[in-house]
Amino acid sequence: MNVKSEASHNFSRRGFLGLTAAAAAVPLLAACGGGSSSSSAGGIKFWDMPWGTPAYNDDAKKITEGFSGANSKASYQTIQWNNFYQTFSSAIASKTGPAVSTGGGFQAFQFEQQGQIAHADKVIDALKKNGQFDDFLPGVLEPFKSDKGYVAVPWQLDMRPLWYRKSLFDQAGVGVPTDWPSLLEAGKKLKSIGAVGFATGSGAGNNIGNHLMIMMMINNGGGVFTKDGQLDVMNDRNVEAIEFLLELVSNGVIDPAAVSYTTDNLDAQWKNKKAAFGMYVLGLPQRVGDTSGDLLVASPLAGPHGDKAALVFPNNIMMYKNTPSQEASEAFLVYYLGQLKQLWQQKLMNALPVFKSITELPEFASDPNNVKIVKEYQPIAKTFAAQGSSLNANLAVLDGGQALNQFTQTILTGKTDAKSALTAFQTGLQSVLKK
Amino acid sequence: MSSTTAQSGLARARRGLAPGGPGGGSLDHPGNVNRKSKLSSQTRRTFFWLLLPSIVLLILINGYPLIYAGVQATHDGSLIDTGNFVGVDNFATVLSSPAFWKAAQFTLWFTIVGVFGSWLVGLGLALLLRTKIPAGGTFKVLLLLPWVVPIVVSSTAWNWLVATPDSLIPSIFRNLGLGTPLFLADPHLAAVMVMVFKVWVSFPFMMMMISAALASVDTTVYEAASMDGASKWQQFTQITLPMIARSTYISWILMTIFCVNDFPTIYLLTGGGPVDATTSLVVLAYRSVFQDFQTGTGVAIAFLMTLTLVLVSVFLYRQIRKSSVE
Repeated sequence: MNVKSEASHNFSRRGFLGLTAAAAAVPLLAACGGGSSSSSAGGIKFWDMPWGTPAYNDDAKKITEGFSGANSKASYQTIQWNNFYQTFSSAIASKTGPAVSTGGGFQAFQFEQQGQIAHADKVIDALKKNGQFDDFLPGVLEPFKSDKGYVAVPWQLDMRPLWYRKSLFDQAGVGVPTDWPSLLEAGKKLKSIGAVGFATGSGAGNNIGNHLMIMMMINNGGGVFTKDGQLDVMNDRNVEAIEFLLELVSNGVIDPAAVSYTTDNLDAQWKNKKAAFGMYVLGLPQRVGDTSGDLLVASPLAGPHGDKAALVFPNNIMMYKNTPSQEASEAFLVYYLGQLKQLWQQKLMNALPVFKSITELPEFASDPNNVKIVKEYQPIAKTFAAQGSSLNANLAVLDGGQALNQFTQTILTGKTDAKSALTAFQTGLQSVLKK
Repeated sequence: MSSTTAQSGLARARRGLAPGGPGGGSLDHPGNVNRKSKLSSQTRRTFFWLLLPSIVLLILINGYPLIYAGVQATHDGSLIDTGNFVGVDNFATVLSSPAFWKAAQFTLWFTIVGVFGSWLVGLGLALLLRTKIPAGGTFKVLLLLPWVVPIVVSSTAWNWLVATPDSLIPSIFRNLGLGTPLFLADPHLAAVMVMVFKVWVSFPFMMMMISAALASVDTTVYEAASMDGASKWQQFTQITLPMIARSTYISWILMTIFCVNDFPTIYLLTGGGPVDATTSLVVLAYRSVFQDFQTGTGVAIAFLMTLTLVLVSVFLYRQIRKSSVE
């Protein structure tokens, strides 16, 4: 081997190793670098959930991209509901998250607890100046006020109204329930014609059963928390509500298989004229493809003590501290709230608006179900925080957690008594709620 | 050939060497030993430097999450914030939780039924397909469908088959006068249903593993056994099973890992319910982290699962080695 070939040999080997190391370092450096701010080409990153049809996200994207304020632009990203908390958490942890986003109902409070949320007080001030503040429906803004400021700004209300199928009530020859005793009696008669008197479900991925449990508690003047936010599962009103639900189960008014029903199963029951009455989401007729007028919103039930209450999830838009410009985030949020009207004008939303002016739009008010929900449900609606009013991070654990789901399934199987089930529920919650 | 020569020849044959050895026995030449070790040393060094980037990447890719998971398991934080160090508190909480032991019990049954149920069905079908049946190839493809179809699709289909009293299977039971079983609403039936679903999803994998193993079995062995008067059962237990033992153990290891780590089969069909009747350890870990936001306890469950899987795998791997020796 001559000198030249030896040098060439060494060079090629070292050169190759060097190149390999450099190539290996590229993804490492890329992975380590992350994003230092929520900028997309220097603009505001807005993350949004699939709140309605795909057309909703297309329109929301157009609205977002129409923003040009505070020397900034905005980009739009749809985030799927599957594992959404993980998506947000990992993005925020790696500083690649959004500057502004919609999301889970209690997400803002979870991230506030972890020091990631930029409070929206300046946005509220701007809304006061432009007149939108006075346009909010009564009571929708207060739940978002913490001792540090506004954690987020509501933009739509995810109400849980009671629905009924008129033809089944006509067939059974019974009136639409107005209180608990009439619900039980109607349920028995509906059962005799093969219909379900109180449709619900708590199968894989279905939260409707969980929401029903809480709704019945607050409908009876109870709730999971006291007015000052302390856990209060075992109160008499809750016991009474759960005893009534167990009575519905034992009488077959609630479907014995409801414990395993997914939302698809529940949709099928409503679509196939099996479900006669039950708590469900807004836009049920459109959801199951029956806009014949047979599916109608019932008035809220009166509890045995005369209480009336409905369950609502005020969905909100939050701002994060990781932003290229807080001023731009605030300007974007004010701008976006000002554009919401068109989403309801184009009938892209399956939720109640938070602004009075939108509830008065002909496109919204032409649906009698919408009008009834705004008129009868919104004024008495309470959140998961009931009997308290302020939202907090613990509600996310209550809403999606194992304790409530196990409690619901225990009730729907009917193999328990109210006090035992509520005691287990309270114990389960105590072990996971942050003090 | 003398006896010594014959033994030497067999030994060489086992090593895969020709009578003269490679290169006419040059490797055995004393003068080549130093060169060999020198070459090996250089080669090893080159290999080491060539492999180093990949090794570093592998350590980072696999090691970092493992170390981070270890950190999370010993802290009380969230997905964003690590929180405070709590030592082994999370493990103590998990091990003293009735929910953990209930999930462990279900995972054990789910794994036993999943592994042996799918193995038995797969073995039966592999043996059946080995015989000359018309359109055997078509059947093979059709039988692979449960494995090929995305689990989201098959779980939805199964849900529609059994979920409500008006679904197909409960309707058949009702028409036969056997009542209306609530397959997903009754805790015991739901557990059975999830296991049956797992067997249905997994048997094609077992069938393929066993089919491949059976293909390597020489059919003349069976002819010889037959001539010696061995019954079909004896042929199956004394020839077929031992000959496919290695593949069987490998498939058991893999299926054990698949079953213990199986999230979608359970979660999509029952969500772990009703009343936790079908909650496995992996479902419990998921719920702890993403529904109760108890990251530490969720990761602790995952660690315990991993430890168990490693022990089971080591045991089964030893069985493979034993079967190879035999």
